[in-house]
Amino acid sequence: MNTVLEAKQLRKEYLSKVALQGLDLQINAGEIFCLLGQNGAGKSTTINLFLGFIQPTSGAAFINGLEVAANVTKVKEFLAYIPENVMLYPNLTGLENLALFSSLAGFDYKKDELIYYLVQAGLPAEAAGRRIGGYSKGMRQKVGIAIAVAKHASVLLLDEPTSGLDPKASNEFSELLLKLSDQGTAIFMATHDIFRSKEVGSRIGIMREGELVDVLPAATLNANELESLYLNYMHV
Amino acid sequence: MIKSIAKKEFFSTLRDSRFVALSVIVLLLLLAATVVGLHSYNTLQQERGVAQQTVNDQFANAQDRHPHRMAHYGSYAFRPKSSISFLDFGLDSYTGASVYMEAHRQNSANFSQAQQSGSLIRFGEMTVAFVLQMLIPLLIIFLCFGAFTQEKETGTLKLLLSQGVSLRQVAWAKVAGYSKVVALVTAPALVLASMLLFGKGGFELGGDVLLRLLGFMVFYLAYFFIFIVLSVVVSALHQRSSTALVTLLGIWILCCVIIPKASANLGASLYTTPTKAQMDADVHKEVAKGIDGHNSQDARAEALKQELLQKYKVKTMEELPVNFDGIWMAVGEEQSSKVYQEHFGELTDIFEKQNRISEYAGLLNPYLAVRHLSMGMAGADFSHYIHFQQTAENYRYNIAQELNHLQATKLKYGDKETRLSSETWAAMKPFTYETPTAGWALGKHLVSVVALLLWVALVCTLGIKLIDNTKVA
Repeated sequence: MNTVLEAKQLRKEYLSKVALQGLDLQINAGEIFCLLGQNGAGKSTTINLFLGFIQPTSGAAFINGLEVAANVTKVKEFLAYIPENVMLYPNLTGLENLALFSSLAGFDYKKDELIYYLVQAGLPAEAAGRRIGGYSKGMRQKVGIAIAVAKHASVLLLDEPTSGLDPKASNEFSELLLKLSDQGTAIFMATHDIFRSKEVGSRIGIMREGELVDVLPAATLNANELESLYLNYMHV
Repeated sequence: MIKSIAKKEFFSTLRDSRFVALSVIVLLLLLAATVVGLHSYNTLQQERGVAQQTVNDQFANAQDRHPHRMAHYGSYAFRPKSSISFLDFGLDSYTGASVYMEAHRQNSANFSQAQQSGSLIRFGEMTVAFVLQMLIPLLIIFLCFGAFTQEKETGTLKLLLSQGVSLRQVAWAKVAGYSKVVALVTAPALVLASMLLFGKGGFELGGDVLLRLLGFMVFYLAYFFIFIVLSVVVSALHQRSSTALVTLLGIWILCCVIIPKASANLGASLYTTPTKAQMDADVHKEVAKGIDGHNSQDARAEALKQELLQKYKVKTMEELPVNFDGIWMAVGEEQSSKVYQEHFGELTDIFEKQNRISEYAGLLNPYLAVRHLSMGMAGADFSHYIHFQQTAENYRYNIAQELNHLQATKLKYGDKETRLSSETWAAMKPFTYETPTAGWALGKHLVSVVALLLWVALVCTLGIKLIDNTKVA
């Protein structure tokens, strides 16, 4: 298998607090890795390390074999990122937002192509010309997905992307992830959504206090088992 | 990348109704200040032109008089306004507009607008320079305080950076985008000013006016650029928009209010100026008693008499081939002028030292640097005022000496009755004043030029370098 995303003894400390404890992880092309954990467990720290927004205290993160810390700009070519709450620029239309982010990634799409990506992400075509300021959270999230898809990234980093989405939007989002996975995109998704993880994930990791305490194949677990396991690890 | 983000900033800002409303107000103020400044310029210029022509005509057409009576009749020098001064009144409103030129006395310029206005002028005037120096930086602050903080608060900074853009690229793009917005607000007023200058304004056009206008614009562009970069950098170093705004408003208060007042007060306390009454008394005393205080006018007159009698080998004043009265007047004029020039030089030196503190404070504060340069380019600073005062004094001295020469050569000793015809006065060169060149004006403010350039270099290097430390996550 082709390893696209890799962490080797990846560690991050903030003063005396350990945010991530020596993470070892490999994610292959076409795989969806869902990382479950409470707030402050280290999920976002892991994503920020893969994005190069913060430097590891020790260890290293790799994307397509390139060490992130040493190739901060280069690795961005391979990845797309969707945060928990895609805000974008409220005074620009959905179309303009997508055009901006695509051009920054080196893709200058024509209007038809931009609309295609937005529609593919689930946004109604008639909404594309309206300002983002008037969009619902779900609609903004879809523009965020369109930005990621239009970049043709080999890695997708998602930080609680379905948080606050209605069930319909969540389902559409899941379908899109599976489609991207089929196309060979490696997906790393930090989430609280156990059931969504079971539905779309290839593997599910459980993180607690900065440590990846377990990694399970999603296919062999049922949702109830996963919930029990998660609650057990979280000591709830 | 920079172009795309800059374009986004530009259009995004133009679609922000709050900013558009604020910009429209500032633009209207700028346009109003331009029109009001032009009206004031035209009125004053016309008044002074008419007044100068009137007094010149009165002098040239004066009736037959004794030359010394004519020297006391005197004339006035009215200071013409510099063409660009309608954009920046500078010190013009506080310095005198006319000098009464007469024999023996070096009067200072009088009848400033401040003297003739109500107390409201103390609050400052609404000029283009005021809007450019004080209000545009405020507009820039309100435009840029959220440059980075809003991106952090909404998470779009992470999205931008995940597309492969660097923090520096984002910063430069924002500077470019905001610069276009500021240009959009200020350009109409400056274009209007240029059109008025080179169109229907009735100005005396020339390369020098163009150079002054260019200098005026370039210095303000640099000033706005400094504020834009500074605001973007401050925004990048903060996590919250509210704290970035408070910091920037603090910087504005420091730069535009506190440091200018403090530097002016410091200058006045370090270098105290004598009062006008004290200076006049000192000049009078030295003229009467001699500069060293031991050589009185009477003694000097007696010595001069003896010198002339010996030179022309005659025994009485009446036998002299020249009129002693005229010679003595010329010597007295020379003496009083020398005394006055020394005192005036000392006074000017004190004012220049006070101004120098303010100019050097420009190294700490770009507002002061641009204020000096703006006044300099507008021809409304202290140097231009002194230049006018000196030109008027030179004219006064030359006319007084010319009249003394007429008395010495055309009239007999003791003759107080003979009158010279009015053609004599008409043949004398009337007072005219040429504003010094833009190069001369710039030379007076080299410290401010250097200060402004250093500020540009500082914000572009150190400021942008600080952006590398921006906390993204």
